[in-house]
Amino acid sequence: MSCDAFNRMASAYLDGELTAEDRRRFEAHLETCDACRRELADLKRLTEDLDMIRFKEPGDEELARYWSGVYNRLERGLGWILFSVGAILTLCYGAFKVIEELIRDDTVSNLLKVGVCALIAGLVVLFVSLLRERLVVCKVDRYSKEIER
Amino acid sequence: MDETESVLIQRCQAGEKEAFEPIVRKYAGRATGAAAVLLGCPQEAQDASQEAFVRAWRHIQRFRPDAPFYPWYSAILRNICRSRLRRRSRRPTVSLPDGYALPSNDSDPVFLAEQNERRRCLFQAILALQPMFREILLMKHFQEMSYKEMAEALDIPIGTVMSRLHNARLALREALAKDES
Ligand SMILES: [Zn+2]
Repeated sequence: MSCDAFNRMASAYLDGELTAEDRRRFEAHLETCDACRRELADLKRLTEDLDMIRFKEPGDEELARYWSGVYNRLERGLGWILFSVGAILTLCYGAFKVIEELIRDDTVSNLLKVGVCALIAGLVVLFVSLLRERLVVCKVDRYSKEIER
Repeated sequence: MDETESVLIQRCQAGEKEAFEPIVRKYAGRATGAAAVLLGCPQEAQDASQEAFVRAWRHIQRFRPDAPFYPWYSAILRNICRSRLRRRSRRPTVSLPDGYALPSNDSDPVFLAEQNERRRCLFQAILALQPMFREILLMKHFQEMSYKEMAEALDIPIGTVMSRLHNARLALREALAKDES
């Protein structure tokens, strides 16, 4: 095996992720090869540096601000849901009333009645199809899988 | 996994928003840091990590309270950051040239414990790597995941984890060498 091939195992060696067999072969090669030993030492330094980095814990005030940011968005989400439900119910009720009045009203021509009914039926079909599309998109979103885990 | 966290999660599942606060506070620091690495952009990090908490809350019913919260959360965060990166790349006018052009360090929010010049350089160099390398370095060095865990989380073979991580370290070393010269 070439030095290059051994070098490619260096990271996994440092991380303790080589199989016993590969590990033995890698170490046997190191015994005989200065270049690979140097390369390994170099990579080891970098890996150790990386392991030293830690994320800072925010202060109390920062955390309070952070939480209120999250909290506000949670509330807003609920707000949107309520708003949408309310808007849909109101619109449905309104449309129902309009149709009802229209059909009862004898002064309105039948053509207009049919027209308005078709218009509203069309809107409903479009809305349902849009809704279905959104739901399907949500389902096949390849990320929803990771949400579940 | 500590018992208090699973109790908190159960209260969250019952709809108690107050129970979510200690969880958010506990992980806010590392979540924001992780988002900075994933996005390669400290400015957007807080917003993305908050969005991930909001999404976690919305899906809290699907979460098993006996499992640790953070790995679950970080999968959600990864997804959010990925789609933000995708959106960014679809809008070429606003996107940064891949891998470079971070604004001056001074204005950036501070993410690192125990700052020193060398670590800051290292962190800046990580942020300038390509997204795939940033992601795998984060998983290995900041989240201490094993190759097997990374392979499962990324849905790739272990051999790919091995080579991707190695290439990421080589790229990082090269970037640091370029900085020094
Ligand atoms: Zn060699």
